[in-house]
Amino acid sequence: MKHFILASILAGAMALPAYAADYSIMAPAAPGGGWDQTARSLQTALQKEKISNRVQVMNVPGAGGTIGIAQFASQQKGNPNALMVGGYVMVGAILTNKSPVTLKDVTPIARLTGEYEAIVVPASSEIKTIGDLVAKLKENPGAVSWGGGSAGGTDHIATGLIAKAAGVDPTKINYIAFSGGGEALAAILGSQVTAGISSFGEFESQIKAGSLRLLAVSSEQRIQGVDAPTLKESKLDVVIQNWRMVAAAPGISAEQKAAILADFEKLEKSATWQETMKTKGWADTYLAGPAFEEQLAKDIASTETILKDIGLVK
Amino acid sequence: MSTFQFLLEGLAAAMLPMNLLYALVGVTLGTMVGVLPGIGPATTVALLLPVTYQLDATGSLIMFAGIYYGGMYGGSTTSILLNTPGESASIVTALEGNKMARAGRGGPALATAAIGSFVAGLIATLALAFVAPFIVKIALVFGPREYFALMVLAFITVSSAFGDSTLRGLTSLFIGLALSLVGIDQLTGQNRLSFGVPDLLDGIEVTTMAVAMFAIGETLYIAAQGATAPDKIEAVKGSVWMTGQDWARSWKAWLRGTLIGFPIGAMPAGGAEIGTFLSYATEKKLSKHPEEFGKGAIEGVAGPEAANNASAAGTLVPLLTLGLPTSATAAIMLAGFQQYGLQPGPLLFATNPQLVWGLIASLLIANLMLLVLNLPLVGLWVRLLTIPKPWLYAGILLFATLGTIGANPSVFELGMLLLFGLIAYGMRVFGYPIAPVIVGLILGPLAEQQLRRALAISQGDVTVLFTSPIAAGLLIVAALALIVPLILRARGRGDVLNQMAASED
Amino acid sequence: MSLDKTPSTSMQRRPDWAALVIAAILLVLAGVILFDVSRLRDLGGYSQVGPATVPGWIAYGLIGLAIWTVVAAFRGDFPVREKQEVKPVVWIVAGLAAQMLLIRPLGFSIATGILFGLTAAGFGARRLWISIPIAIVICLAIWWVFSVVLSLSLPAGPLENLLQ
Repeated sequence: MKHFILASILAGAMALPAYAADYSIMAPAAPGGGWDQTARSLQTALQKEKISNRVQVMNVPGAGGTIGIAQFASQQKGNPNALMVGGYVMVGAILTNKSPVTLKDVTPIARLTGEYEAIVVPASSEIKTIGDLVAKLKENPGAVSWGGGSAGGTDHIATGLIAKAAGVDPTKINYIAFSGGGEALAAILGSQVTAGISSFGEFESQIKAGSLRLLAVSSEQRIQGVDAPTLKESKLDVVIQNWRMVAAAPGISAEQKAAILADFEKLEKSATWQETMKTKGWADTYLAGPAFEEQLAKDIASTETILKDIGLVK
Repeated sequence: MSTFQFLLEGLAAAMLPMNLLYALVGVTLGTMVGVLPGIGPATTVALLLPVTYQLDATGSLIMFAGIYYGGMYGGSTTSILLNTPGESASIVTALEGNKMARAGRGGPALATAAIGSFVAGLIATLALAFVAPFIVKIALVFGPREYFALMVLAFITVSSAFGDSTLRGLTSLFIGLALSLVGIDQLTGQNRLSFGVPDLLDGIEVTTMAVAMFAIGETLYIAAQGATAPDKIEAVKGSVWMTGQDWARSWKAWLRGTLIGFPIGAMPAGGAEIGTFLSYATEKKLSKHPEEFGKGAIEGVAGPEAANNASAAGTLVPLLTLGLPTSATAAIMLAGFQQYGLQPGPLLFATNPQLVWGLIASLLIANLMLLVLNLPLVGLWVRLLTIPKPWLYAGILLFATLGTIGANPSVFELGMLLLFGLIAYGMRVFGYPIAPVIVGLILGPLAEQQLRRALAISQGDVTVLFTSPIAAGLLIVAALALIVPLILRARGRGDVLNQMAASED
Repeated sequence: MSLDKTPSTSMQRRPDWAALVIAAILLVLAGVILFDVSRLRDLGGYSQVGPATVPGWIAYGLIGLAIWTVVAAFRGDFPVREKQEVKPVVWIVAGLAAQMLLIRPLGFSIATGILFGLTAAGFGARRLWISIPIAIVICLAIWWVFSVVLSLSLPAGPLENLLQ
């Protein structure tokens, strides 16, 4: 046994080429979640496209990514090889968890993918349009129960924004948080709640099968091939997407940042990455550089306002 | 083509030698990673998924099924032999299984777990193939109030696992309930009992707790008996294989476990642990040897293990028919399916029958491979316990911490292991049972959340908790489970009095 | 744990001090819960069972159990404890603590190797200069397998960096 182990160590040491890891990507979540999948897909694509020789993925799970970002900001300062995956959920989690480390403490590179929110009702529901739902909400906010993901997450934020846009007190919404997309979907299908709100992808196959009725989506323009109005054209000024991004370490030089940015420009255009997004069902909402930084600042500001309105952040 | 033809075709494809080899490789890999405590089936599948991408569609689907079942099964081996449950669904297995292993009956315990898993997997996979659309309709009727009633029932029946002292059993349960409060409150997003520590915001990880309470607490306790204490572990006593009596006591438990586990797994918020709890309680109630429970009763391994595997197949019901991932493992599987061009949902059986039946055939083959791999290994596994004490326990701790580090390499998590290990040691010294802590930690938040959801939906109307027929039915069963034993005991006393009166005549 | 130092033989008709300590711990736990949840806001208030309600029930349950424990302590209802040896426990706790503190600076293999050696020592195998190096080599192999086969990076230190 001992011989075997020694032999395998030697063999392994010799088999590994002697170059250093090019990028190490932190997924601030446990293996398997959305961020982890993004990190591991990036790993595969960056290596396959020869943008990077060897990419490592590290998982630091906990508290909506706030544990990961804190560790990333403190330990990787100035390291041009360190990357971190993150997303919109982190924006809310940083606020609700009162995290001392925020997205200002890392260097955002690019928004990679995103998913729009969809508002649905069971097919048997008497609510036919988003207008019906808003009318019911105005009449008695408590009587409209919304099923969605965890409290303070994207679904909850979107619900608050809708109520606010409709002129209803966001603290009065009857939002029922479920522990996962699956559980929420089951409650909606079983007509346990009035309406459901979650990423469009979660509902897509149910909508196609006719067991859920899609009332509206939260995108800027109508989604291609989807027969539903946007919230905006329904006179509710709400545009929100649950995006995922990649960020670099704080304290890197402008050249280092530009180099990373160039690598991701290359990745975005590559066939491998496009193919990955297609098989995973991720929408390409790529946005990089100053445009992304501006959008990020906007997202953070609007999220803070609505979380205060709902009462989740003081 | 009819359902049956598709299945036969899938089976024929899966039986090709190359595909059988893929199944074997998948099962082996899945078992190897799945045995690590703290790394449950979800993580196992997530980590090994890329391995399958190298193969063609059929081959990768088969290997994937193998990894899934291997990961599910891996946890029970360590539960039984080392008292370190690999995931929350095999915690109950440790209760009786490890007692059996210590009494030299590790062989039969492992065998009944393997065969029980196979039987349950077989029945449940077939049920998945033929009654999934029907089951899923029932599962959707379950809303928050029905789940709350189910949790009440689980609390009451599981109290049979609380040991002999009511005071100490309840104290353990309440310690578990108190610990379950730690972290972000699901429904309002506020943190409770986290004291500003970010690592506590996600609450206390059940697997960390189980490893600390069982493996570390136990190791400390045994060490504290001193080197002079006689070695209480006997690796093999009697046959390594199941005796006729073992078979007789196991087969009904397997079937009952399957019957309990499958529907609960199919419920979107059921959870595999609940099935194992209920199965354990049922076996204890029905057993002809209730006195053996807590000392190594084979039914207590056979039932929960079957329930665990049946519920794993049960989770596939909402996943395939509705596209509903109802557990972390199911969410990973969904990601895997997408890789194979399989889009789970209500239309899947209609639009993509070949792939679905290919998957179901793969699951059946993987299930068989699991048995083929594990039964011959039973003898070898049991030898693990003949390792001298210092190396055995040092190995257990290495292994226990490895799982935790693999899932979350944080100093804080290791600190929790140490702290709860010490608490568990203290509890053992003072005769407090360990299992209720875990029961409270798992069931507490579920019960609380469902109650609050039900009341929020009804806008505070308490009567909704009793007005649904299913909820009312479950609550009545729970009430009976609580009252009937009391009546029987009272009447039993009456019988004794009558006998005494009669003998005086 | 300080609890273990209490004498294991309880004399008759005298309260079981260890049990009283346990009751006190339960009371403190209940107090901490009640104090912590008192600051929670009842958001969304459509359910009368808010974020602080169930913790309250649990806390009152703990208080009830504490009282019951005190009664049991005075009635001598607690089981007789077996004699505990402190030394082996200290060895193992030291091993776990060492692993926890060393895993960041020194990496998985050295930290876990020390845990292995100290635990074995707790069970009587005291030749640390043999057990620790062997354990470190085994852990290094485990680290390598995790990193290559599962692409899961366990914490790396000087030894692991040699392999990278």
